[in-house]
Amino acid sequence: MILLERNPQAPRAWLGNLPVTSRYTFGLGGERFFRAIKDEGKILGTHCPKCERTYVPATIYCERCLGKLDEWVDVGSTGAVHTYTLLYENYDGSPREEPEIIAFVSMGDGGIVHRLGEIDPEEVEIGLEVEVVFKPKSERQGSILDIVHFRPVA
Amino acid sequence: MNQRVAIVGVGWAGFRPATPEVSYKELMYDAAVRAYTDAGVDPRRDVESFVTVAEDFHEGTSIFDEYTPDQLGGALKSVQTITGDGLHGLATAYMLIRTGQFDIVAVEGHSKASNILTLDEITAYAQDPVLNRPLRFNTHFVAGMEMNRYLYETGTTREQCAAVVVKNRFNALANPSAPYGADLTLQDVLSGPMLSAPLGLRETAEHADGAIVMVLASEQAAQQLVDLPIWIEGIGWCNDSPSLESRDWGQAIYTAQAARMAYSQAGINHPLQAIDFAEVDDIYAYKELQTLEALGFFRPGEAGELTAEGFTTPEGDLPVNVSGGSLGCGHLLDATGLARALEVVLQLRGEAGARQLADVEIGLVQSWRGVPTTNGAVAILSN
Repeated sequence: MILLERNPQAPRAWLGNLPVTSRYTFGLGGERFFRAIKDEGKILGTHCPKCERTYVPATIYCERCLGKLDEWVDVGSTGAVHTYTLLYENYDGSPREEPEIIAFVSMGDGGIVHRLGEIDPEEVEIGLEVEVVFKPKSERQGSILDIVHFRPVA
Repeated sequence: MNQRVAIVGVGWAGFRPATPEVSYKELMYDAAVRAYTDAGVDPRRDVESFVTVAEDFHEGTSIFDEYTPDQLGGALKSVQTITGDGLHGLATAYMLIRTGQFDIVAVEGHSKASNILTLDEITAYAQDPVLNRPLRFNTHFVAGMEMNRYLYETGTTREQCAAVVVKNRFNALANPSAPYGADLTLQDVLSGPMLSAPLGLRETAEHADGAIVMVLASEQAAQQLVDLPIWIEGIGWCNDSPSLESRDWGQAIYTAQAARMAYSQAGINHPLQAIDFAEVDDIYAYKELQTLEALGFFRPGEAGELTAEGFTTPEGDLPVNVSGGSLGCGHLLDATGLARALEVVLQLRGEAGARQLADVEIGLVQSWRGVPTTNGAVAILSN
């Protein structure tokens, strides 16, 4: 049957949808990482003495040697922009007038993906030193959103 | 068992931006019947095992493997669906034959992307749910950040990335299965809107619908079935750490490792000398350049310049994506690697029509599973 022979009133496609809601346990390492952000405003990593790598965000195992990690270190509140992008689409694919400025900020041997703020898009460059800006302690919930953004080091 | 494995039949349906009149099962059926006819096999009698690739969220159906046997001739037979790119499916079928338990195996991949109404959100659901997804960034941001670091580390330019788009979409004009053929200038590409700067919207493949089926056979069966089997000389795959926080942002190390595995099986030491042409990932234009370097064809930073000079055109020293790639054929979701492999098979058989390359004996196929993955596969095929 070709398209022209079809009854134009016939349903051609059915719509379906599914509410997908999940709970994600971040685990022993993740809980301590986020608790340090929430309670102390600190970013913690874990160090692997064998591979000489510091994982940020902290994990309880080294993905290189698979050794268990228990050496926790405060990696400070600043880092360099390792790479960045100006994103012109929203989560659902709709266009944005003004871009989101997103960076991967190096901390330890890992880092954090987040927004850059208090900066114009054209001022961002790879290597720029930035610092973390936390929400006020009373508003922090133990999540990546406890970080408002990173901003240039004054 | 140590015998070789060949591709003895290929069939495909599409590729088109939308296929409103047919179901995904009808697309698969269409491709399967062509592949079985091409191989000269009866699917119900001769094909012993079936491998399909699919991702439930792309299909809109949970436990999607339950929906694959009937339209392929696989009901009441050995069937498995893996969540991977089509090239992982090809590797799985290859291994099934190498076990010695099966002589003829079919592999299938398809895309019904036009039916997915919330693809951006489905792709975002692949982001780390605790560290990344709460920020609610469109997942293209991963490509934008990767491209930016790649340009920074290698000195590659946006113009050189745009040259990939111009080449691949021009190549697609000679491919009747490619819906996105176009004769563009660098300026046409660069003047388009930004998607995730420095990545432009026109450097990003649009989606297409289609299905691809291949029939693989053991050496003995292949020689009985067809005059020109296409041999799988090597096939490798590799995953890097998936985390955005510990991956390498500039280089596709996973592709380099997958290539090492495939080259070692095929006995290839100097890829540029040994391989006549390649079909590689170009879902985003910069990926083709980054991939060619990871595959060892060029040193980091050389691919852009050589592409701009025409080294990878059909007339160049190393033709890349003569089919038009994903930029020209459309991004076929999980079937993408099989679409690249299809072109290599057609070229090696001398059946590529207006875009046929002269005197080709060894072709390379590479695929990547798209953002946010760090997942590559490589196959070496020969006639």
